[in-house]
Amino acid sequence: MPLQMRNGNESHFMDAIADRVVTDFGHPETFTDDPSLLTVILDLNPLGWYNIRNRTTVKEVTKSLIVFMNAHLSLNNSNRVAFLTASPSGARFLYPNTMSDQKDTANTLVNRGMYRQFRIVDETVLLELNNEFQAVAQTELTDYKSTVSGALSLALTYTHRMLTLDESISTTTASAISTSTNVASNSSAAGAGSTGASNLISMKSRILVVSPDDNDDIRYIPIMNSIFAAQKMKVSIDVVKLGSKDVSYLQQAADATNGVYLHVQNPEGLIQVLSTAYFIEPSLRPLVVLPTNSNVNYRASCFVTGKSIDLGFVCSVCLCIMSIIPDLGKCPTCQSEFDPNILSQLRRSPAVLPRKKRKVDPPNGTPAA
Amino acid sequence: MDSDEEYVAAVDRDSSPEVFTDDEDLGGRRSRGKKSGSSGPAAADGGYSWEDRYKRPWDIVKDEDEAGQSLENVIQTMIENRKKKIMKNPTTPFQRGIIRTLIVIIDGSLTMLEKDLRPNRFAMTLQLLQEFIVEFFDQNPISQLGIVMMRNGVSNLVSEVNGLPQYHIDKLRLLRSRQHNRFEPKGDPLLQNSLEMARAMLKYNFGTNMDDNKNSKEVLILFGALFTSDPGDIHKTIDNLIKDEIKVKIIGLSAQVSICQQIANKTNNLSSRTTGANSSSGSNYSVIMNETHYRELLMDCVVPLPVAATEKRSTVGVPLIKMGFPLKVLPPISASNNTVNLDLPVLCACHPTNGSLESKDAVTIGAESSTSIIGYQCPQCRSRVCHLPTICPTCGLMLILSTHLARSYHHLVPLREYKEVPAADHYESTHCYGCLLKFPEAGGPDGPLRASSRYRCPTCARDFCIDCDVFVHETLHNCPGCESRSGK
Repeated sequence: MPLQMRNGNESHFMDAIADRVVTDFGHPETFTDDPSLLTVILDLNPLGWYNIRNRTTVKEVTKSLIVFMNAHLSLNNSNRVAFLTASPSGARFLYPNTMSDQKDTANTLVNRGMYRQFRIVDETVLLELNNEFQAVAQTELTDYKSTVSGALSLALTYTHRMLTLDESISTTTASAISTSTNVASNSSAAGAGSTGASNLISMKSRILVVSPDDNDDIRYIPIMNSIFAAQKMKVSIDVVKLGSKDVSYLQQAADATNGVYLHVQNPEGLIQVLSTAYFIEPSLRPLVVLPTNSNVNYRASCFVTGKSIDLGFVCSVCLCIMSIIPDLGKCPTCQSEFDPNILSQLRRSPAVLPRKKRKVDPPNGTPAA
Repeated sequence: MDSDEEYVAAVDRDSSPEVFTDDEDLGGRRSRGKKSGSSGPAAADGGYSWEDRYKRPWDIVKDEDEAGQSLENVIQTMIENRKKKIMKNPTTPFQRGIIRTLIVIIDGSLTMLEKDLRPNRFAMTLQLLQEFIVEFFDQNPISQLGIVMMRNGVSNLVSEVNGLPQYHIDKLRLLRSRQHNRFEPKGDPLLQNSLEMARAMLKYNFGTNMDDNKNSKEVLILFGALFTSDPGDIHKTIDNLIKDEIKVKIIGLSAQVSICQQIANKTNNLSSRTTGANSSSGSNYSVIMNETHYRELLMDCVVPLPVAATEKRSTVGVPLIKMGFPLKVLPPISASNNTVNLDLPVLCACHPTNGSLESKDAVTIGAESSTSIIGYQCPQCRSRVCHLPTICPTCGLMLILSTHLARSYHHLVPLREYKEVPAADHYESTHCYGCLLKFPEAGGPDGPLRASSRYRCPTCARDFCIDCDVFVHETLHNCPGCESRSGK
């Protein structure tokens, strides 16, 4: 089934990021009811939630998300969900939870008569969310940088497991046996052992990020790495942006992975939005016009001033982007000295009219007169 | 014509591998192949393909009991695979030539019809090359590539230097589909002309020859023959290559040829002798052992080459490049209302490629769906181009997206290697931090098999399973544990 995604999204990908690579055009696809994994990442940035306290609360949003997850589970018996939070105390899994086996189920957070699969998920998420709040309350917020990148990384490692391994496998030993049998059968079939992992995909996956955070100051490189990994795995990243403004990196994440990005201005009706705009199964994506905005700002931001720029200078060693030529003639990130000839060429002000003759293509190395 | 034939190692593939023993680089590869060859099941992808026995699919299916016995082998293979994969990702940061221009020279001579690779060498080469191109542009988005084929005593241009993967793949497909007439392997190969052609192609850096010191110029030769028939003195060509700082890497398909070794050594002289940097990315001239090895060698070329210390012009310093991050040009929004709107055609500034062959090709216009972006606008001169990265044809500014740069960062800042946790009686972690798989309990059987199965990040001290370890280092390039910590 990987072909299916690739083919359908081809034009979008190619243009959206201009470096998608399309290898093969598939046959007319058959759409099947593959099970799918939904990973929800809830950003618990206190400042972000504080800013939108008049419009919605974590509680309201969590309610909607739980309904959303239950809906996802009810679509297909083998559908899976995962729930992560990115909070000042770190990013972590709420569901599935490695501790949940030992816990007794005699709590009363949800109705006991509920369908068992829903109940397990809902209980764990709510319980763990409470624990998470306590942890956040004890964390100092002095030097907090968003942990969304961590949550995305975790979501991707988990997705990787779900995509490559049988879902019943829960120990590393079992996984080792299963992978090596797969490798053995692969090498016998095609000898494509090294890249053979891709043909094991039976599950589809998507990630939903819910973030109220208006802050654009994130760990840029890890986020981008996660986006590229998601792109490679054909995992869409959907984004529900609460709060007051668009955030460029989340827009990029959605755009690059063929996900949905919506800035939800009125979070009161969140469940409505979730169950319509965000309820597009990965297998349906090639067929549906996504309710998203393709006009995404891919402009770079300056490493020194942090401003968004459209014309800048790039250090050829570390690829650090600068809006100005550093005064010292040194890269601020990697400290390597720049070529003085090139610097003087770049620093030169535009040629004025009387000297028009010399404007075109000055010989390399001639300093400005 | 055949003045300069090099027939140093005219070996058939069924002769003994002793021919290679005088070569250091190959020695390393070979010993590894031998070792895994002796350990039973690993032989399938470790040794020379001609030493292999017949593969019978029913041999691979095993009984239940046997599977239990071979668990040791299974785990051993897993660990070896992991190490092999991790070894490919060096963790020491090097300065690397990120902006690359690579010319791939494929052999189209008669020898490429040999069937030691299935269906034959040529078809296999094209197939692997296609994979290589995809991987190459994925890892090196601000790089360019061109393909040259040497066939029947002439070097043919397959695809011009270009940054579009689809373009090259189309050209390769053409090569495959027309195999029956024009491009079927034929005649003799000639290295000299091809190298000269590559040299000429490498003169241009993204369409201009303004600053040719910014990019790393490389040639990759996939050489099936054991000789070359050159019209002139190839050593002069080699000297020219050295002068132009072009690095040649060669993958031989049959046996080692002395002239190839010379080319590879001389053109990489600076880097291979003075620093140990190159040892991590493989040698510059290698001969394949089998199909898997071929793929490995080819994929090794994806990683950008480290820049050797001596190459840096110490007096001058590194170049600073002015780049533009262009705006997208969107089609007028038409879907929302049903009123008639004018879809005025917009000309792309980069398309008429000044009288080249490409201008004769038919250009499909408007095939893309209307929701997609129709182009990019140069921030300096406002001319429109249709694809990135490129050099603005009007003002000469290099146009890229920030994501292109971001794709290359992991080459520059490699992730630290995870360390295997030594076997002990008690472990702190019960589950893999990344994928929540359960680790085996402490205290299994004693002996060589006793392992913790945990791999720990030295920075955040989280434990990961083997699959996550490989995935994190190969695909993600982020440590989930380190990223999950707040603060920092």
